[in-house]
Amino acid sequence: MAESDNIFAQFKEHSVAEFFKKNQQMLGFSGKVRSLTTVVHELVTNSIDACEEAGILPEITVNLEELGEEHYRLTVQDNGPGIPKTHVGKALGQMLAGTKFHRYIQQRGQQGIGASGCCMFSYLTTGKPTKAVSCYKGTRYDLEVLIDFKTNKPLLNMISESPTDQHGLTVISEYKGVKHEQSNKGIFEYLRRTALVNPHASITFMDPATGKISLPRSTEIIPPKPFEVKPHPLGISPHDLLETSHQYSTEYRKLSSMLQNAFSRVSSAKVEELRRMVPDVDFDKNPAQLTWEEAEKVVKGFGQVKWIAPATDSLVPIGQAQIENSFKNIFSPELVVVTERSPKVYKGGIPFIVEAGIAYGGGIAAAGKQGEVMRFANKVPLLFDTSGCAITETVKAIDWNRYNLKNFDEEPIAVLVNLASVHIPYTGAGKQAVAAEEEVENEIRFAVMEAARGIQRYLSGKRKAHDIATRKKLVERYVEQLSADLADLSGGKKDRIVKRLNQIIEDKYAGPGAGGEDDEGSATGTKPESDDSEGGDE
Amino acid sequence: MAERATLKKLEDMGTGMVKQIDAGDGPTFETVLRTKSNTIYDEGIGCLRTGDKKELRKFLSMAQAKTFMQTVAIASKTRKFVKEELHTSIRGLFYQLKFSLGEDLDEDLFSEQSESNGLIEDLEVALGIKREDLNLTTDRKGFVAGPMTILDRFGGEETLIDLEKQGRSGWSIPSDVDNGMDIKKLDADYVLVVEKDALWQRLNEDKFWKKENCILVTPKGQSTRGTRRLLRKLADRKLPVYCLMDCDAWGWYIYWTIKTGSMNLAYLGRDFAVPEARFIGVTMSDIDEFDFLQKLTINAKEVDIKRAEEMLGYPWINRHPEWVKELKMVLKTKKKIEQDALQGQRLTFVGEYINKKIKKKDWLP
Repeated sequence: MAESDNIFAQFKEHSVAEFFKKNQQMLGFSGKVRSLTTVVHELVTNSIDACEEAGILPEITVNLEELGEEHYRLTVQDNGPGIPKTHVGKALGQMLAGTKFHRYIQQRGQQGIGASGCCMFSYLTTGKPTKAVSCYKGTRYDLEVLIDFKTNKPLLNMISESPTDQHGLTVISEYKGVKHEQSNKGIFEYLRRTALVNPHASITFMDPATGKISLPRSTEIIPPKPFEVKPHPLGISPHDLLETSHQYSTEYRKLSSMLQNAFSRVSSAKVEELRRMVPDVDFDKNPAQLTWEEAEKVVKGFGQVKWIAPATDSLVPIGQAQIENSFKNIFSPELVVVTERSPKVYKGGIPFIVEAGIAYGGGIAAAGKQGEVMRFANKVPLLFDTSGCAITETVKAIDWNRYNLKNFDEEPIAVLVNLASVHIPYTGAGKQAVAAEEEVENEIRFAVMEAARGIQRYLSGKRKAHDIATRKKLVERYVEQLSADLADLSGGKKDRIVKRLNQIIEDKYAGPGAGGEDDEGSATGTKPESDDSEGGDE
Repeated sequence: MAERATLKKLEDMGTGMVKQIDAGDGPTFETVLRTKSNTIYDEGIGCLRTGDKKELRKFLSMAQAKTFMQTVAIASKTRKFVKEELHTSIRGLFYQLKFSLGEDLDEDLFSEQSESNGLIEDLEVALGIKREDLNLTTDRKGFVAGPMTILDRFGGEETLIDLEKQGRSGWSIPSDVDNGMDIKKLDADYVLVVEKDALWQRLNEDKFWKKENCILVTPKGQSTRGTRRLLRKLADRKLPVYCLMDCDAWGWYIYWTIKTGSMNLAYLGRDFAVPEARFIGVTMSDIDEFDFLQKLTINAKEVDIKRAEEMLGYPWINRHPEWVKELKMVLKTKKKIEQDALQGQRLTFVGEYINKKIKKKDWLP
């Protein structure tokens, strides 16, 4: 667990709490159902990331208690490494402070506003602090935390310290004006999808309405850790640049040297190129002095320079086998087809991978899923902003007719799409929809169509078998009557004719390639025994 | 005799299928394709008949299983009718066969009468018999009077029918003139077929058949199978058959059905056709001959024009230059003449007209 030590060395401070307080919707705190799902998302995501980094198989319990009308207490407990005393306040009570934002790495969370955002939201709706229990390296810390919006500093109240042999973090917070709902935007669906793309995680949900629900893990293999890379200029927004500049202002005195050290693929030659592209920005100024306007100009300049593409080996997909097992584990569908594409880049330099899985029939129908598109970005379920998302749009635009799925919206089918990238092109800070990047859309389309072909092959085979069975049944219906009339005309025994005729039908419509309309029954002409007691139907 | 042959054919059909089943094959039977493309005009005998294209009906086929079973059901049921010497209509047969296929099957053997019509034709063709042989009756429509006596064995009785003693109504032509019916005495010079019952009644009142020594027949519109069979039988007795129809689409159609048979029943071939029939009127050329008809023409309808055009395209019609000339005149003048117009001047003129036509051999082939 040596890893978990140094990640906290990278904590940096930012004063943006006030801004986000006024713009809660940017963090996903809008709508009663969505707000609660967002809280669960932020906390669970943190837990899985922490476990993964520490090489621990995640055991996560989410306990929701209904305290009153639109008033809930949420407890999220993990078995991760816990957080040291020195960082726990910042982790939960300081906006944009975290282990994630300043590292360019494919992770579930990206901006470090998650847990502290929940803390803020809890305080704003109930006036109460968030409680946390962190078991870290043999010590259990019980504490309460608030955010000082003016200074963006955590207000920490350490309640107790005691020895423990446990490890992990528990966050307990209350919310008002939120709603728990059994829908495809609710907590259970969120957790179910999280389990789907994190087959190594074991998740338990205590639902106040339906009781305890377990989503056991389907594999003991912890996915490989994505390794850290410096951000590539093409994936940077003015806001990112500003944050990074401020962050490195003590290490680098000039903007030019900061760019070369904090970003990948930025050489001195490229900085010279930028100087020519953006003449009204002084690249020799202190990074701390960079203004928003200047940052905008530099980012515009980034787009005009020809960069060497970033390395793609930092991407970690879920994996075909994992998705397949996971689908089977959670939904027990009739058929699962999973495809994984090779890494590609978008915007000229940001690497990404698309994985797609289609589950058909069986438990899919039982789970109430029809023509459902399950979107994921770096293994995080995207439940909201469905219509504005490039994944949904791309999947729906596919001509499903070609794959024997005439009415996509009514078929028992669930389409999973996971987009893995060091920089997901979200449409907004709520991180619920993927923007329409042409390269990304193409990859999504190809991946889903490839999987759809597998479904099609299966369905046409199934349809054929079904057709043969239908034909057989259709013919069998008339055996009794035909035999009676034939017995009448020929003076033979009806039961004997029924028996023979049924045998002929059985032979004709059995086995592969059976049921052709033109091939005659191929049974041998052996004399039947005259067993009149038998025969009859089927 | 005929009954025994029919019974044997039906029973052989069943025995053959059981043999197929015993050999491990699905039961089948062969029939002749009854489509327009397999309908040909046979110049040698002068009527329409079906071609040589055969069709195999199979029980082990999704598309045919039900109709196959239904066809065999008809065979089995009609065999019973023949054995019991009882007749019924196709409607009656339909009700005999309209029963559930079984408690667990939500389906009747037959649910619509229309289902059975094609299947009866299948049986007729496959076994080389007529539906009349299966004791299936059809509605009667035609009437006849004249110097002919018929022996009718029916309902366990034998009746001698003198067609000169049928009064004003004439003898109604039965649906089957072959089974249980013999022409005992026939002493006529020719057969006259008039399209309309009204004209038949007019001529009957004049005792036209007596004066002319002819058999006076009206199919009362389109001919039934019974009427066509009767005309065939009379033609077989070497009597010329003259037809007096309207000069319009419907009249022509009735005539050509008598003469060459219809496309629908082409499979019946010569048994139901009278290639020797002649069309004595009414024709467009009559206008030149009889002035008063000039004023009695009426405008041809679209259907008449269309039919005339169609007929010009039929090889068995356009091989007669007389008909081509007649039809072209219709297309040119766009007029038609009804046979009733012949009464326009004098009620008894019709008889004179017919006489004149036959004597002068003024007819269309």
